[in-house]
Amino acid sequence: MRALCWNGVNDLRVERVPDPTILGPQDAIIKVSLSSVCGSDLHLIGGYVPTMRAGDIIGHEFLGEVVEKGPEVTRLNRGDRVITVSIIGCGKCWHCQHEEFSLCDNSNPQPAFEEAAYGHCTAGIFGYSHAFGGYAGSHAEYIRVPFADTNCFRVPEGVTDEQAVFVSDAVPTGYMAADMGNIKPGDVVAVWGCGGVGQMAMKSAFLMGAERVIGIDRFPDRLRAAQMKAGAETLDYSRVDIYDALLAMTGGRGPDVCIDAVGMEADSGASAIEDLYDRSKQALRLENDRPAVLRQMIQCCRKGGTLSIVGVYGGLIDKFPMGAAMNKALTFRMGQQHGQRYVKRLFEHIEKGDLDPAYLLTHKWALDDAPRGYRMFKEKADDCMRVVFAP
Amino acid sequence: MTRGRDGGRRLEGSAGTLERWAAILGGTALGFAGARRGSWALGALGGGLFLAGAAGVPLSSPLRQAALPAMRREPTTTQANVTIAVPAEKLFRHWRNVRHLAALFPHLDAVEILSDTESRWKAHGPGGVPVVWNSRLDKIRENELITWHTLEGADLPHRGTVLFRPAPGGRGTEVSLTLAYHPPGGVGGNAVSRLFGAAPEQQAREALRRLKRIMEVGELPTIKGQPSGRAERGRVTSKLREVTG
Ligand SMILES: [Zn+2]
Ligand SMILES: [Zn+2]
Repeated sequence: MRALCWNGVNDLRVERVPDPTILGPQDAIIKVSLSSVCGSDLHLIGGYVPTMRAGDIIGHEFLGEVVEKGPEVTRLNRGDRVITVSIIGCGKCWHCQHEEFSLCDNSNPQPAFEEAAYGHCTAGIFGYSHAFGGYAGSHAEYIRVPFADTNCFRVPEGVTDEQAVFVSDAVPTGYMAADMGNIKPGDVVAVWGCGGVGQMAMKSAFLMGAERVIGIDRFPDRLRAAQMKAGAETLDYSRVDIYDALLAMTGGRGPDVCIDAVGMEADSGASAIEDLYDRSKQALRLENDRPAVLRQMIQCCRKGGTLSIVGVYGGLIDKFPMGAAMNKALTFRMGQQHGQRYVKRLFEHIEKGDLDPAYLLTHKWALDDAPRGYRMFKEKADDCMRVVFAP
Repeated sequence: MTRGRDGGRRLEGSAGTLERWAAILGGTALGFAGARRGSWALGALGGGLFLAGAAGVPLSSPLRQAALPAMRREPTTTQANVTIAVPAEKLFRHWRNVRHLAALFPHLDAVEILSDTESRWKAHGPGGVPVVWNSRLDKIRENELITWHTLEGADLPHRGTVLFRPAPGGRGTEVSLTLAYHPPGGVGGNAVSRLFGAAPEQQAREALRRLKRIMEVGELPTIKGQPSGRAERGRVTSKLREVTG
């Protein structure tokens, strides 16, 4: 089959690779019909995640058809149209039983990396480096899914492919961001990052009772989408001081809930010196992640408010304003998405028309064009929100 | 290593990549200047480690010894702990059937039952060096504890204890595995190093992890045999170097 392989920093190629096969009794093989880029793939492509190996197939947001299944797969049938949650749960460990699928004890076959770096290992993720299990990703014609009964979900008739594909990753990640914010009716929610996940966080915040949602970005098309599609007010951090603007919009209180949908490669609109500091440290590999958004959220959040972090961080950050966080009694919630917990609810919202993620799909290309698609996505050219590949 | 074309030489979970990952994360906290000047001794151990990790170069062994003393130490007692979401009775029964243990230690080739309390074990070290010992159970407390020791003449003299106790909050069972080896130096010590390399703690931890995965999900998750661009090189359909330039 053909697959998009990572071969080194900024070196992606579509190559011929062997077809995947069933390796465990609970595996299924999915024929991929749509597979989307994701912002967190950019961290891998850029070389910020140190456990990539040349030849790894990337991609973790996808929809397809079950073509083969292992003997212990009972809930799926050949021919089912399914999405697969990007983060793999075993379905049986204590965390999976408590719907904390991204903390699964058992789905990562290479736990030593994370145990060394993080103290414990977390779930495997498709196409997301060897620290997260080394599983082959979805930018391919076929993909093997372990623990298929736990991780694959049949797509209801009334939901289109273009809507469903994002239920793998962007929609549940955004939804979980809002969920972790513990939003109460009347709350003001600020969302840093108006990409796919940010957009879904904004929509979800409204579904959970937020009175006002403020989207922060610098790309006009994203800000426009946040306004038109997600119903948010918007701030362009390249034009306004975010702290001043947010306080002005909230009667000096600050947002009740601040959502980070950006992560480790954040641009900082706040202070050029701070941004330069983080960029140089990250470039020299002296700091893994640029925490510009985190610092800004801590500064802006109302006293006693909640920070919900779904933007991806990999390692260590420094100059973390702990004093502000502690004295302002902030609550931090964070994590990779527990998508399996939300899929059913999300399909219901889509069927009812509360939520339509299809607008995230701005470009649909052949898999052979994937390297070009990633370039466009990375440069945010042509108002690109998400490129989706159809093999 | 992970970046080069020769990446295939280093297998998953290899010490090299792990070391690099740990070095990158560990090294960030410390200095940079000394490493840049090429001197490891300038108090820039962290920066140096980090750079070694980032560049994928093997760490020099004196540096590694200085930086990671824990990996060099050869402990005589090692313990690993895990919580398994399964009742103690089930785990006890599984462990009591010593034939099951072969699946927990990849170096084990065969376990032969000699009597109700004695068994004969055959293992191999790296390079296939055979390691053989006889083992006798000494203490068994139903659903709680199993202890054993090796008999005279064992290639790998040791005593072991596995302890099962209910975990709080209905989380299942806390399992502790303790292995005590004779001090290194003699034949036994050599066998320990051959069999377990420099990290018996990791071996014990991995054994318990395999137990957990077998008992909780009934299989050991793997990526062995999955496709990658490493298998069939040079058949590029579409190529783009420098995604960003
Ligand atoms: Zn993603
Ligand atoms: Zn699990």
